[in-house]
Amino acid sequence: MREVHTLIVDDSSVMRKIVERSLRQAGIEEMVVHEAGNGIEALELLRAGKMDLILSDINMPAMDGLELLRQIKTQNLAPGVPVVMITTESSEEHVREAIASGARGYIRKPFTPEQVKERVLPLIEAA
Amino acid sequence: MRANLNEIADPRNLDGAVEEVFRTMLGTDCRRDGDALADEREWVTAVVGFGGLLSGACVLRCGGRTACVLAERMMGAPFAEIDGTVKDAAGEICNMLAGSWKGKSPELAARCGLSVPAVITGCDYRLHVQAPEFRLQHVYVFDGTRFEVTILCDGLK
Repeated sequence: MREVHTLIVDDSSVMRKIVERSLRQAGIEEMVVHEAGNGIEALELLRAGKMDLILSDINMPAMDGLELLRQIKTQNLAPGVPVVMITTESSEEHVREAIASGARGYIRKPFTPEQVKERVLPLIEAA
Repeated sequence: MRANLNEIADPRNLDGAVEEVFRTMLGTDCRRDGDALADEREWVTAVVGFGGLLSGACVLRCGGRTACVLAERMMGAPFAEIDGTVKDAAGEICNMLAGSWKGKSPELAARCGLSVPAVITGCDYRLHVQAPEFRLQHVYVFDGTRFEVTILCDGLK
């Protein structure tokens, strides 16, 4: 598998590490991880270099995950790059809003590595 | 919403949320314990606010040693003191407990938002809420350590 540049956006450094560990357990070993603590930092990283995969929390200070999705779309910062939301917000309304804003997948916290594998691996393989 | 107060305040929802978060994210079983927490030299308290249909908070409170064990379970490395990672871990667990608890009521899942976590450390402090609508306060035990989770509701629409 080629090297996958992955942007993990979460205000919790602990959660960023858990997401990275889950991705590696899912079999995505050849991965370069880029970390951002909020949407603003994520946009800076997206302007600086191309990513292959973006995983983002929704509830974050400064700029939340839904606004990040809108900005990515408006500024055309990651065309064709799959974005998966990983969040405690679990309602159908949140899922619909995220999908309408450009997300390709949705993982609810708490999650298992198997759930990450199920939702993320097909997106990488299809890209 | 008020008509569903009994359903929302059902203690089993909190027990289910705690069991789910601990089994999934920490890989350990966690069970409810009857005794109150013993005094600690240093406490870690994580708070996540509820807003919208229900206003209030989810509060996770434990001693420093338990907070370090929680972080160790999440990160897979030991922690000797309450550093930034330990506080971050406590905040994230509280965040997932709050999300899992509200997710057990479809109305709350759809129309109740969560704040980002705040974490308080130290000793000799108390959290006070003026006349809450309801309060659920349970102590749990895992890996031989104990912690307390409180759901405070101070307003229902």
